[in-house]
Amino acid sequence: MKRWSLLSLVALMAIALAVSPPPATAKDTLVVMQEAEPVGLDLMQSSIQTTMSVCYNIHDTLFHPQEDATVLPALAEKWEKIDDLTWKITLRKDAIFHNGEPVNAAAVKFSYDRINSEDLKSPNKGKLSAFTDLNVIDDHTFTIKTKEPYAPGLYMLGYYLPIVPPKYIQEVGNEKYNTDPVGSGPYRLKKWARGDEIVLEAFDKYYGPKPAYKTVIFKANPEESSRIAAMLTGEADVISGVPVLQRKRLEDSGKAYLTPQMGVMPYMGINTYEAPFNDVRVRQALNYAIDKELINKALFDGKAIICAGPISPRTFGHSPTLKPYPYDPAKARKLLKAAGHPDGIEARLAYPTYMAQIQEQAEAIAANMTKAGFKVTLEPFERAVMWERYKGKKHQLYIYWWDDAPEPDRYMYSLFNSTSRDYYYKNTAVDELLDKGRTVMDRAERAKVYAQIDEMLYQDAPWAFLYVVPEVFGVANDVDYQGRRDGFLNMRYAKPKM
Amino acid sequence: MGIMLQYLFKRLWHTVFVLIGISMISFFFIHLSGDPVMLMLPGDASTQEIETLREQLGFNDPLYAQYLRFAGNAAQGEFGNSLYYKVPAMALILERLPASLELAAAAMLIALVVAVPIGIVSAVRRGSMVDMGSMLGALFGLSMPHFWLGIMMIMLFSVKLGWLPTSGRGSLAQLVMPSLALGMSLMAMFARLTRSVMLEVLSLDYIRTARSKGLKESVVIYKHALKNAMIPLVTVAGMQFGFLLGGTVIIETVFAWPGVGRLVVQAIFNRDYPLVQATVLVLSVIFVAVNFLVDMLYMYLDPQISYFEDK
Repeated sequence: MKRWSLLSLVALMAIALAVSPPPATAKDTLVVMQEAEPVGLDLMQSSIQTTMSVCYNIHDTLFHPQEDATVLPALAEKWEKIDDLTWKITLRKDAIFHNGEPVNAAAVKFSYDRINSEDLKSPNKGKLSAFTDLNVIDDHTFTIKTKEPYAPGLYMLGYYLPIVPPKYIQEVGNEKYNTDPVGSGPYRLKKWARGDEIVLEAFDKYYGPKPAYKTVIFKANPEESSRIAAMLTGEADVISGVPVLQRKRLEDSGKAYLTPQMGVMPYMGINTYEAPFNDVRVRQALNYAIDKELINKALFDGKAIICAGPISPRTFGHSPTLKPYPYDPAKARKLLKAAGHPDGIEARLAYPTYMAQIQEQAEAIAANMTKAGFKVTLEPFERAVMWERYKGKKHQLYIYWWDDAPEPDRYMYSLFNSTSRDYYYKNTAVDELLDKGRTVMDRAERAKVYAQIDEMLYQDAPWAFLYVVPEVFGVANDVDYQGRRDGFLNMRYAKPKM
Repeated sequence: MGIMLQYLFKRLWHTVFVLIGISMISFFFIHLSGDPVMLMLPGDASTQEIETLREQLGFNDPLYAQYLRFAGNAAQGEFGNSLYYKVPAMALILERLPASLELAAAAMLIALVVAVPIGIVSAVRRGSMVDMGSMLGALFGLSMPHFWLGIMMIMLFSVKLGWLPTSGRGSLAQLVMPSLALGMSLMAMFARLTRSVMLEVLSLDYIRTARSKGLKESVVIYKHALKNAMIPLVTVAGMQFGFLLGGTVIIETVFAWPGVGRLVVQAIFNRDYPLVQATVLVLSVIFVAVNFLVDMLYMYLDPQISYFEDK
């Protein structure tokens, strides 16, 4: 008996001795904690937010996209339109890759060919499909052409065409480049301890403003409460994925503040190809049936932004005159009656189980709908199954979401142009306008086109429009960092607070 | 020793069948549960693109052909690249395995070191305050969800007291909370098990004989009773250890512990076939190996147990 007690005592003491307070991070080091570890570090090979976030610290593109969907120079120094289909772009001369290779027009050409190559299977290839041709003029000048005039062109290049080093990639190949990337951004990869952390260090020959922090460490922590705890103990300086109901706690702690970033825009999609939802009155009834204000108060602490049409109220091109469908169950019933459903309608509502706060949203929406005469069966689906059924046109009503990106073409074209996803809705007038929206180069004129699309879809109601839930980052009080609408954690913009 | 080897081979032979069975079940289940191609491509990918990728990955072949190809490659230790991480699946698992082993071993150690003495004392002083107190504690330990316990520990030891880091792996300090949280329910289970087994053993004839021979009570308990009581304990501990390697997803999530459990769950969500299959196989091999070791331990603990017919 004594031996056992002694043994356990010794073990406990050993543990107690080994335990030390969490290591304080040095002031020139910034620890960023995200929900998930990157799957790779080649920006061309991933379209996952948490992966791209790390990548944008390592890789630079031609332009810095802005929140109003314009661009500022990055690797490109100046640019001009030669005609409606051609941009002539001049690179800055002082940019080099982390391994010393020069960033020149040949590297841009190599990058362009690489993202379009069959081998790479880049998920971002489609985002650049408007471009047809890139021609090198001299060491630092090239032209890039599009099939049609393409208004969001520079913005898309700014996000989706990282410039990569030709020599290094030819040497190591795509697989190794994904784990040991060399970019031209403000940070270079120092170490990737898989499952643990990614250590980036400032690149001393970076052409742009020197980043304020010498070292940036990206960690992953999938559990939201643990991320917040790490912020409170000072183990993390910046965290992503702060759920709505924990935000106040973080703010009240006196240790951190919140900064807005991308928003998540959930919507209820409708299969307009099948009865009874092929009738616009039934779809409008759905829009009147949902009490968005109440859901906002109950689930999002009043922080969500109610949507009128499909274009986020924060996005360039939304119609300023639209008012959200009000909550009016009586009107919904009337519309259902007019459409020949006096006894109401049975409906299936699918939702993906992995989305944040989705269960509550789906239940609230279903309860609302019941009051308006819909009998709702909820269909929760696991991620892959939800997606497969979505693509297989098997949903009747479904909740999905998109981020409220600054550039309307990015999501509107994907979701509503029938040449892209002709799953549940087709409207040739909208198709034409979306095509036109890409080609109008004048900003004010272009805004009008999207406003018109917004209004048309509002009337035709291929969705029940819901809300934008703004996401936030948590930032430690001694760090100055403003989140951006693209939702990427680009640490070149962080600096110590004086 | 010849008989021993014979037994070993027999076990190995069984193991091969077990592994084939497991690989088949995991292969067919994961393949029938959804298509990774849909997840790998962006939403606006054309049907053409989807088909091309399916073809490239060989998903258009009949399922049995895909299985045979997988089994053939697996036999040569080749599991292919993870569809998601784009690096060899086996390398990913081997990177994570030490973390899982470390956590499982620490949790097991903590649980055994605390639980066995408690179980013995409770049995010897059956009905006493110590017995009731520790069994009540064990009930608590069993009933507390890992998830809740983990968060509460973080709140107390990291946020309030500032003694321990909230998450991650590397230092001993980072191992304390995850292994305690994980060990807690094991502790409870082992304490209850030790107590009940000890009670049973202590009532047996040979213990009475030992006592009547005038042996010291401590010798009776530790030398005679405990050794026999260890057998079920070793069995359960062995099974639990195998389970801990892949089944600690919740603890791994709460403490951002880079173990195999989280990797495989994520792989299942992503329909990352190669990664799921490789993980399942690796975990099965370990599970079978641990069970084999447990069997060997039996023989040491109780010479009456034998696997050799012609003893």
